Amino acid sequence: MTATARPLPVPSAWSAGYWQAAAERRFVVQECKSCDKAIMYPKRVCPHCLGENLGWRVSAGRGEIYAVTAQLAGPPTGFADHLPYVIAVIRLDEGVQLMSNIVGDGALGARIGDRVVVDFEEVEGTVLPVFRLDAGAETRDA
Amino acid sequence: MQKTKAAAVGIGEVPSGRFPERSELEAAILACRDAILDAGLSPRDIDVVMPVGALASRHFNVDLVFSRLCEELGMLRSAKMNVQVMSGGATSSSMLAVAEGLVAGGLARNVLCVHSDAVGSLPKQAGIDLFSTTGVSEEWEAPYGHNMNAVGALASNRYMHETETTEEELAAVCVSLRKWAELNPHAMFRTPLTIEEVLASRMIATPLRAKHCNMLADGAAAFIVARAEDAPHITSTPVYVRGHGSLVTHYTVSQDTDLARLGFEQAAAEAYAKSGIGPESIQLAQIYDAYPVWPLITLDGLKLCRGERAGAFVAAGETAPGGSLPMTTNGGMLSQGHTAVGGGIAVLVEGFRQLMGKAGPRQVANLVNAVETASGGTWMDSHVTVLSREH
Ligand SMILES: [Zn+2]
Repeated sequence: MTATARPLPVPSAWSAGYWQAAAERRFVVQECKSCDKAIMYPKRVCPHCLGENLGWRVSAGRGEIYAVTAQLAGPPTGFADHLPYVIAVIRLDEGVQLMSNIVGDGALGARIGDRVVVDFEEVEGTVLPVFRLDAGAETRDA
Repeated sequence: MQKTKAAAVGIGEVPSGRFPERSELEAAILACRDAILDAGLSPRDIDVVMPVGALASRHFNVDLVFSRLCEELGMLRSAKMNVQVMSGGATSSSMLAVAEGLVAGGLARNVLCVHSDAVGSLPKQAGIDLFSTTGVSEEWEAPYGHNMNAVGALASNRYMHETETTEEELAAVCVSLRKWAELNPHAMFRTPLTIEEVLASRMIATPLRAKHCNMLADGAAAFIVARAEDAPHITSTPVYVRGHGSLVTHYTVSQDTDLARLGFEQAAAEAYAKSGIGPESIQLAQIYDAYPVWPLITLDGLKLCRGERAGAFVAAGETAPGGSLPMTTNGGMLSQGHTAVGGGIAVLVEGFRQLMGKAGPRQVANLVNAVETASGGTWMDSHVTVLSREH
């Protein structure tokens, strides 16, 4: 890794399924087969019941923006060439939250409450789930 | 209401800023020396030393863990324990709570709490990268370019959305802190600042501009906690720890479900109940800042703005010198400087300094009750402590 390399996820034994699905351009969230709750980000044990019987639930990858910022300057190492880029906390329709980038048309104008849908971006051989504004959706009233 | 068990009896501090010629060790020794002398104690009266975790140098941090300060300051074969306490920016509040517990439980008589770090002398990109890994998930957030300025930006975005707070009101927080820093010789930034200057500075991460963001600094501060019953025999200006409340809300910012409030309402309710001192009796708010949105969230949660929106309250000058609620009178991390974990320690030590009547030109008159707050990492936890000159 060079000094300017962008950091990439190093999967754990219990998160590998998430990244494997992303590599196949499928989006999943973790689920607990004991208490049926959705979990993000993936955990070693269920944070609701401490169960270990965990699996993956296929997700439509839809949700809305809970908070968003456009990074214009002062990025961490590996992101200088990507400016400007948009970081958002996304609340999925499954009720769980995750961080991602908003990409594509209108990303720099993304606002709280905007509906988003998952997309995939390959970075140096790793596929990252990212989100774009959901052109078909309406609501903006978080 | 709980029985008062502990008091601060001495404080020490060195100026914050960039001091490449001053090592972390030297700064720590001088801050501890000043705190011991301020309390009128001897090093051999200190039975527990609590150094805070340091970030810039692993070597220095290992020295702190392994009793280096006991050796440097003449405490060998008198100090009983040297133990590191660390909860990031919340360490000010949490180490005070730990020290309170130790003296209340009879495990210590005089606890020396100290922080020293030199993150201000790190190369600029190293500073950005260090704070892009503190409370930022390597697997789930760093690959998306997340960093500490973005943490402040995301919370500002959510808070402004929910409260209709404006960019000018965020800038007013920076201006209020600067006015206090102009009176503080230990502050890194002491030249006057205007709202227009903040809003004209370069956009970093919307809605935060360069002058909305803190600057990393070198610094050190120390304080000594004693048993409440011993305190008046040690010093004529003890500051009593009346009540503490706290709540952990997340590790990574993407997992917080109420980013515009965090846990400050619950923490404040606990601290007010334990201390028997409510928001109407608080005369000084020593609020952990780092970015202007956090004092606003905190003022709301602590119910210190007489029913007004915190942004409007600050913009009206109520928290600046001459206002009805002096806030963070050392200038906070935005003006005294962000010394890593020490930003919160400096805010707490200033609270002690004010209640001891030792704040010089920025002394708040007729002060009896103050509140101190802190939060760690990505504002993972909310801490509130009520302090008083009265037992
Ligand atoms: Zn479960």
